[in-house]
Amino acid sequence: MGAKRTYNVNSVTPTATADTADLVDSTYVGFFKGGSSTQRTKFNEIYMGGLAAASAPTLMQLARSSTVGTGTAGGGTDAADNPETAALAAPVEVGNTRVTLKPQRSSTLKLLNLAFNAFGGIVRWVAREGDEPAIVGNTATLGEATLSAFTGGTPGLLGAHVKYETA
Amino acid sequence: MRSQRSREGELLIDHRASPGVSDELMRSIGMPAGSGKGLFEAPTYTCSHCSSVVVINPDRKRERAYCAKCDSRICDDCGAILAQTRECKTFKQLMDEVQEKAAKQQVGSIIIPT
Repeated sequence: MGAKRTYNVNSVTPTATADTADLVDSTYVGFFKGGSSTQRTKFNEIYMGGLAAASAPTLMQLARSSTVGTGTAGGGTDAADNPETAALAAPVEVGNTRVTLKPQRSSTLKLLNLAFNAFGGIVRWVAREGDEPAIVGNTATLGEATLSAFTGGTPGLLGAHVKYETA
Repeated sequence: MRSQRSREGELLIDHRASPGVSDELMRSIGMPAGSGKGLFEAPTYTCSHCSSVVVINPDRKRERAYCAKCDSRICDDCGAILAQTRECKTFKQLMDEVQEKAAKQQVGSIIIPT
């Protein structure tokens, strides 16, 4: 059993971005990158609620990164689910802005499609404990995943959270 | 021993208060027709070999790929690879290898007294 945490984005309007292109700051929900070369993190739950004011089909994808982001991370908030959780020596890097290198979504290593209409739509996925998709280490292509909008549709404003567990 | 059903996750897409997503767009990402309208709920499973999440299409007739060696359902892509190579390598094994390799590199420069 590891440290369960929740990454939250109050509101973001994703930009439809092609695979292997830089994910521009604040145009996607977030990245999740291992805090060390030996760390593993499992994804437990993803929720997105549409906040758009007009129809906005939004093709969100959880996918591994072909290029991992580097530099200071920012955007979103991150908190332990249990207040008694001890801080990790090397916390998972999360956020949706990167100062140096921007993450890039792999064209082949997709983990989950979460398409919905951000005009009043809701999408929620929950994994069964013991069978969660995971990242390991902190390098491409296994060490980082992103939740971002794929090309197609007209992405709209949404709020989201991702629950994850690090061991 | 856990049954395959007991290992399933859940996907919920709620468009009851939304115009939803067209069948054409949903099909383009591999989702079943109708999944972008109204309330769509479906079980999911995580491919044991590549860790991707598969949404179980209730209308699918074709058999799903299964690896008897790790007793797990796998995705169609990994099923095709398994049919060719007959090799089972789970994602958990891959993670163990990555961690062991990284750990060895970390301690590689340390002289351990014997």
